[in-house]
Amino acid sequence: MSKFLASLVAATMLVPAAARAEGTIEVLHHWVSQSEVDALNVIRKDLETKGFQWKDSAVGGMSGANAQQALRSRLTSGDPPGAMQFLGWEGPQWAEQGVVRDLNDLAKEGGWREALPPQLLTFVTSGDAFIAAPINMHRQNWVWANKKIFDEAGIAPPKTWEELIAAGKKLKEKGVTPVAMGDEPWQIGIIFDALLSDLNGPEFYKKAAIDLDPAALNSPEMTKVFDTLREVRGLVDDNFVGRDWAVATGMVINGEAAMQFMGDWAKGEFLAKGLKPNADFYCFATPAKVTSFQYVIDSFGMFTVKDETVQKAQVALAETIMDPKVQKGFNLIKGSIPARTDVSVDDFDECAKLGFNERAEAIKAGSMLGAMTHGFAAKPEFASVFGDVAAQFFVGKMSSEDAVKMLVEGIDNAR
Amino acid sequence: MNAAKSFSSRLAGWLPRIVVAPSLLIVIVTVYLFILWTGVISFTSSKFVPVYDFAGLEQFIRLWATPRWHTAVANLFIFSALFLMLSTGIGLLMAILLDQNIRAEGFLRAVYLYPMALSFIVTGTAWKWIMNPGLGIQKVVNELGWTSFTFDWITDPKMAIYTVVIAGVWQSSGFAMAIFLAGLRGIDNSVIKAAQIEGASLPLIYRQIIIPMLRPAMLSVIVLLSYIAIKSFDLVLALTNGGPGSATELPSTFMFSATFRRNQMGVGAASAIMMLMTVAAIIIPYLYSELRERNNG
Repeated sequence: MSKFLASLVAATMLVPAAARAEGTIEVLHHWVSQSEVDALNVIRKDLETKGFQWKDSAVGGMSGANAQQALRSRLTSGDPPGAMQFLGWEGPQWAEQGVVRDLNDLAKEGGWREALPPQLLTFVTSGDAFIAAPINMHRQNWVWANKKIFDEAGIAPPKTWEELIAAGKKLKEKGVTPVAMGDEPWQIGIIFDALLSDLNGPEFYKKAAIDLDPAALNSPEMTKVFDTLREVRGLVDDNFVGRDWAVATGMVINGEAAMQFMGDWAKGEFLAKGLKPNADFYCFATPAKVTSFQYVIDSFGMFTVKDETVQKAQVALAETIMDPKVQKGFNLIKGSIPARTDVSVDDFDECAKLGFNERAEAIKAGSMLGAMTHGFAAKPEFASVFGDVAAQFFVGKMSSEDAVKMLVEGIDNAR
Repeated sequence: MNAAKSFSSRLAGWLPRIVVAPSLLIVIVTVYLFILWTGVISFTSSKFVPVYDFAGLEQFIRLWATPRWHTAVANLFIFSALFLMLSTGIGLLMAILLDQNIRAEGFLRAVYLYPMALSFIVTGTAWKWIMNPGLGIQKVVNELGWTSFTFDWITDPKMAIYTVVIAGVWQSSGFAMAIFLAGLRGIDNSVIKAAQIEGASLPLIYRQIIIPMLRPAMLSVIVLLSYIAIKSFDLVLALTNGGPGSATELPSTFMFSATFRRNQMGVGAASAIMMLMTVAAIIIPYLYSELRERNNG
C-alpha cells in the first residue's frame, strides 16, 4: 500500500530523475524574474549531474523581505530550508544566531578565501566560520547612457561629477531628459552612495557609511554630497514619481533620456533590445578621481539540519556554486560578474570586461566598497536612515545643512 | 434512566461551550497571545531576532524620536478624518440624489458601487497613473489647451497624503452610498408626506427629518469605513509606496518596515503597541457606553 502510494506520488510529481537522486535540497530565494530563473538553472543542472535535486522555494517581492519573513517562520518552527539566498548582513546575522552551517572545511579545501576579493569576506564569514558561498557580484555604481544622444550633443562620457552635471544641463537645454530615474529610495540611494565615495574618496565612504564616524557624518564633505545630489535632482524630469527602474532604463534605450544611474542588472534591458555596448550605449562607472567598485553580492548559506542526505546535498550545492565554470555560466545570464576573481573574462560583454578590470584596480586602490543601499555597508537600521534622508532630501525642498543634521540625529537615534 | 437524563441535560448545557471552545482558543492564541508577545518585545532591545531582556521604555523613546513616525501618525489622522468625512458626505449626497426616482437608477447604482469590488492594489496603481503629472490628469488638461494647469500633488511631499485620500474616497464612497440608499428606502413615505403637508421644504425635510432617521445607517457606515481606513496599508503601498521620501508613511507601513526590513524589531513592536493604544482609546469608551446602555435598558 505504502509502495503504491509512493509511486503514485512520484508519478504525479513527474520527476524523472528522482529515482537516481541521492538527495534533495530545498533552496529558499527571492529570484523570480526570467533571467534570474534561467541563471539559477545553471546551478540546478550542475547539481543534478552530482546526483542531487534542487527543490525550488521562491518567495518573491519586497527586495527579499518576504523571503526573510518566510525564513523566520521556518526557523522558528524548527524546519529550516537546506539553503537560503543571503543579501547584505543577513548571513552574518543568522550565523550569530548559531543556525548556519560552517563551510570552513570546504572553503579551505577549495581555496575560497584566496579566490574571493578580501573585502567580500565580511559578508560570507562569521568569526572563523565560512558561512555562505557567493555566486555573483553586481556593481551598483554604473552609468548607462544613450550613445546617440551623447554623440549628437557632442558629449563624451564624463570624467568628473562637474562634467557630468554640465553635460546634463546642456542636454536639458536641448530638450532631452538628462537623467532617467524613479523616486524609490533605493534608486536615489544608488546616486547618494556613488557621491559619497566619488566626491570625497573611498576613505570617506568607509568612515561615513561603514564606521558611522560622527565627524564624517557631520562634515562639510557630507554637505557637499547633498549639494551635488540637489544638482542631480535638477536633471530629472518631474514625472519620476513611482517610476520603476526598468521603465527608466527604457527611457534611455528609446532616446527619451540620456543616462541612468543603476546597477548592472540594467544591462540586460539593453542587450535584450539587441543593443551593443559602446556601439549603441555606453556603460561607465560614476565619475571620480579614484573610481570605486560598489559591489552587491548574492550568496547561499546552508542551515544546520539533522537529515544526512540534506547535509550531503548542502556540500554538493556549495561546491557547485563555487565552481568557476558554474559561476561563469550563471553570470553570463544574470548580467553580473563572478564573485571569484579567477574566472576567465572570455565570452563576457564589454561592460562586464570593464567591470572585471575596474574591480581588479579597485581591490588594489582600496576603492572596493560594499554598496550601502543594497545592504553591504552599515547594518540595515543605519543604512535605512541614510536612505530616508537622501530620499526626503531628493523629493523635497530641504537644505543640505538640514539634511546633514537630520542624518546625524537619525543615526544617533538608531545606535 | 435518571442518570441518562442528567447526562443529556448536562451535555446540552455544555454543548455550546464545547462548540465555541476551538474558535475561542484560536482567537486567544492568535490574537491576544500575540498582542501580549508584541507587548513583551516592545520592552526589549530586539533588533534582528527577538531577544528577551528588559530595556525599559528605550524603544518607545527611540520611536518617538524618529521623524518618520511623526509623519506616519500625522498622516493617519489626516487620512482617517478626511476619508471618513468625504466618503460619508459624498455617499450620503449620492444616495439622496439617486433616491429622487430617477431613470436608470439600477445602472447608476452599480456604476457607483463598482469601485468597491476592486482591491486597493488596483485602485492604488490606477490612481498612481491618473495623478502622475506626465501621464494623467495634468497631461490631458495641458494638451486640451490649458497649459498652465498643474496637478502634481503626488510628487509633492506636502500634498501626497491627499492623493491617498482621493483614491480612498473614490473607492469607498459608493459603498457608503449603498448603505445610505438602503436606509432611505426604509423610511416610511408617509413621514415625508406629512411634513410636506405641514409646508416643509425639501431641504428642510432632509435636514430635520430624513438624515436624523438615518442614524443607524450612519453608524454602520462610520464603523465599516473606520476599518477600511485602518487597513489602508495596501492602498499606500500601491499608490505611493510610502513616498515621495517618506511623506505618505502610515503607522502600519512604518511597523512593517521597522520590523522586517530595518532590523528594528523592538521599535516595530513599540509602534504596534502605540497603534493598539490608539484604537483602544477609541473603542473602549464606545464599548463602555454601549454596554451601559444595554444594562440600563
